[in-house]
Amino acid sequence: MTGAIVENRQSADRASAWRGYALVSPAYLWLLLAVFLPLSAMVYFSFLSSNVFDSGSAQFTLGNYLSFIRRPVYPILLWRSVLLGIIVTALCCFIGLFAGLALARALPGRARALVFMLILLPFWTSGLVRVFSWVVVLRTGGVLDSFVNWLVPGAGPTGILYTYTAIVIGLVHAYLPYMIITCYLSALAIDDSILDAARSLGATWPRVFRRVVLPLMLPGLGVGAVLTFVPVVGSFMEPRLLGGRSGTVFGTIIEDQFTAVFNWPLGAALSFIMLAVVLVIMAISAPLLRDRREMLK
Amino acid sequence: MSSSIRLLGQALVTLVIGFLYLPILVMIAMAFNKSPYYQLPIEWSLRWFNDLLADQRLQEAAVNSVLIATATAVIAGALGTLAALGLARYRFFGRGFLKALLLPPIAIPWVIIGCAMLILAFWTGIGRGLHAILISHVALSLPYAIMVVGSRIAGQGTACEEAAATLGANPRQVALRITLPLIAPGIVAASLFSFATSFDMFVISYFLAAPGQTTLPVEIYASIKEGFTPVINVVSTILILVSFVLAVLISRLHDFGTKQ
Amino acid sequence: MVSLTRRRFGQFGLAAAATLAAPAYIRRSIAAGDVRMLTWKGMGSDFPDAVEKFRAETGIGVVHDYFTSELEMLTKLRTNPGAYDVALVNFVFVDQAAKQKLIEPLDVSKLTQFQYLQPKLRDSKYTKNGDTYWGVAWTWGSTGIISNTTKIKPTPDSIQALWDPAHAGRVTFRDDPVEAVSWAAIATGQDMNFPADLKLVKEKLLALKPQIQTFWKSSGECEQMFAAETVDISPMWSGSAGRMRKRDIPVDYFAPKEGGIGWFDTLAVAAGTSNQEGALKFIDYLQSPEFFIGWDERGGAPAPANLETQKQLPDDSFNKTVLGDPKHFESLIFMEDLGDEKRQEYLDLWEDVKATFG
Repeated sequence: MTGAIVENRQSADRASAWRGYALVSPAYLWLLLAVFLPLSAMVYFSFLSSNVFDSGSAQFTLGNYLSFIRRPVYPILLWRSVLLGIIVTALCCFIGLFAGLALARALPGRARALVFMLILLPFWTSGLVRVFSWVVVLRTGGVLDSFVNWLVPGAGPTGILYTYTAIVIGLVHAYLPYMIITCYLSALAIDDSILDAARSLGATWPRVFRRVVLPLMLPGLGVGAVLTFVPVVGSFMEPRLLGGRSGTVFGTIIEDQFTAVFNWPLGAALSFIMLAVVLVIMAISAPLLRDRREMLK
Repeated sequence: MSSSIRLLGQALVTLVIGFLYLPILVMIAMAFNKSPYYQLPIEWSLRWFNDLLADQRLQEAAVNSVLIATATAVIAGALGTLAALGLARYRFFGRGFLKALLLPPIAIPWVIIGCAMLILAFWTGIGRGLHAILISHVALSLPYAIMVVGSRIAGQGTACEEAAATLGANPRQVALRITLPLIAPGIVAASLFSFATSFDMFVISYFLAAPGQTTLPVEIYASIKEGFTPVINVVSTILILVSFVLAVLISRLHDFGTKQ
Repeated sequence: MVSLTRRRFGQFGLAAAATLAAPAYIRRSIAAGDVRMLTWKGMGSDFPDAVEKFRAETGIGVVHDYFTSELEMLTKLRTNPGAYDVALVNFVFVDQAAKQKLIEPLDVSKLTQFQYLQPKLRDSKYTKNGDTYWGVAWTWGSTGIISNTTKIKPTPDSIQALWDPAHAGRVTFRDDPVEAVSWAAIATGQDMNFPADLKLVKEKLLALKPQIQTFWKSSGECEQMFAAETVDISPMWSGSAGRMRKRDIPVDYFAPKEGGIGWFDTLAVAAGTSNQEGALKFIDYLQSPEFFIGWDERGGAPAPANLETQKQLPDDSFNKTVLGDPKHFESLIFMEDLGDEKRQEYLDLWEDVKATFG
């Protein structure tokens, strides 16, 4: 009797597993063909001594990976990029959490649908065009300076362009929508009745936020953090165009290997090292972002 | 919710929208500025609009880009939704690994993926062209789409679906009547992000475009030596304004995420 | 919340099918007999009017594809055999392209403009091997210095101006390892292409730290900085300097007395072309005064290798007033093919330098 039940459940599990595979397979097959296959080719190249196209003299080598240790400039710049990623992600988390919450709960329905679209629309343009617009805004005598000096005559130039602050502004601008939208999607799931219950039990708003709202929004916050942190570590356009002298980061170094010297093997090796570091950081921070809905129970 | 908090929330949303649109407004203003160097003060002029009218190639590029981005949005939105449902609702071997696999396409700089795809297209004989561009855009939008839809599903229990099933709805009815509407905001967001990702993928389009074919990103990336002129602002402005009108229209019809 | 009814779902499916089919409608603009040209974007030949004129004269259309670095140009030729007819090849890379069989020997008898080309460029060691021409010299230019005429008086004449403390924080610099090493080598009195003392080069570049405000990659970025007066002095290409002057940006251009950097671009026929005749016709058209003067007037053109064209340039043309001076041409040091290893060495050095600037 019990055996039959166990068997039943096993076959149900198996059926649901098959359904899961069926649902994910179109997307992952596509990814396999278009991304993972070419990337495996790149993994192979990263162990070669020279470009595949250069007269077949390429040999197997670990040199590209070892150069990460041999040249101190690489770890220094990777650390700089990771730090940039942490700063930008933290800022996006802070702004995005409250903005997503406000969007979901403080706006009437119609306005909400419009604002939801408004947040995404700016990104239907090339990122390069947007960064160039930031240059026009931030440069000496630019839009921001004109505004500040109109507000406070004689305030002088703000001098933000070509500083670290400019890089952070540009990157926060580029990735904030991801964070707002993922937080918004999580915030939608918060039921009014839970909030009312907590309030009627005498909890203050900050307490409700910390004990009820925040745990419920963690999934969105987590996804937003991943979608921000991961690309920011590899970013090169914003640092190069907005950062001036301080614009050299790991991403620009990787780009140089492809554009200045065409050393694909080294460029690939450096980016896989970056990927490994990013994955380790994600693994370490995963417990922070775990779904904590059980806390509510 | 108390009205003061509500007001605070509305102020915050306004501020954030202001921040997001600051460079966009500047971009639009510069489309009407006579100076090729984006100089202030603005001298109003339509010269860049005239330049665009004369530039068949750029018009073609804009149309191609919109078509590719739309196709990307639809395909990536659909496949991403299926995959997100599969990853969230079913337990199977290798699920964690599949989730982790979404990170490399986001983390690896596009120039590397672009070169890799160029080599593969060369080796396998797929060749360069719009098909290759579309395949790569969908692939690189998928991780974003899957994660965005996933963040919507994660906040949603299965209670509604279970209730419907208990009440006698068949699985198809449950999927179409309950699940889809519930996660619709996520799907819409995922599609819009995929559209944006496709529009922004300058390096990869550049590597995969066949000789003579063009998209906006190709035009922009290829101007690495000279830089581009405000004509690019004009194209972007037209696209933004058209999508703005569409957005207003759609938001009057649909109401993403109002509670059921 | 909108409920997704079956009808709506059907509409969604229809939309999906339509978008899937969309790429089929995208116009393939290559027709049989078209000349396919591989070049930099904005190098004159892709200007719509120029292409139309050529079509009107010969009935041959032209399709352009672009590269964003010379090494990428070689890769594109390698990975797409037969996809191109004409390629713009920088003089330094002609030999390499010929050895790797990426370009074909030229039948110069078909080129009516060939006789008018500046002999020093036309018959240089870069383009001619024995009796065979591999590339035909098209345009040349110099890389010198531009300075803001209202901020820096008088206009300097030395490369050391970039290191002058008076311009601290007002210098911008091209983010390019080979050019950076070249300038530092010239400034330390060494051979521009293969400086013997790289340590000295590195020290000289490190000394730029207080000077530099930012770097640029496209000349458009640099032009914007000068227009907005965020910088006062920078290395710059002659063609772009001419365009800035044409647009009334107050700059002077000079080749430093220690030496300016010289370069020229050639036109070559891509190996495996199926349209040799059209390719040569287009090359000849691009050499003609009629094409080149139009480009010069639009701005941004380097100097023509065609001496006949040079004579016919308008008197106020930058390519006549500044580059037309024979002394300017004589003062230039021409680049050499460095080879992959040297290029990597220079890049490593340049990255070390830039990392300390942060």
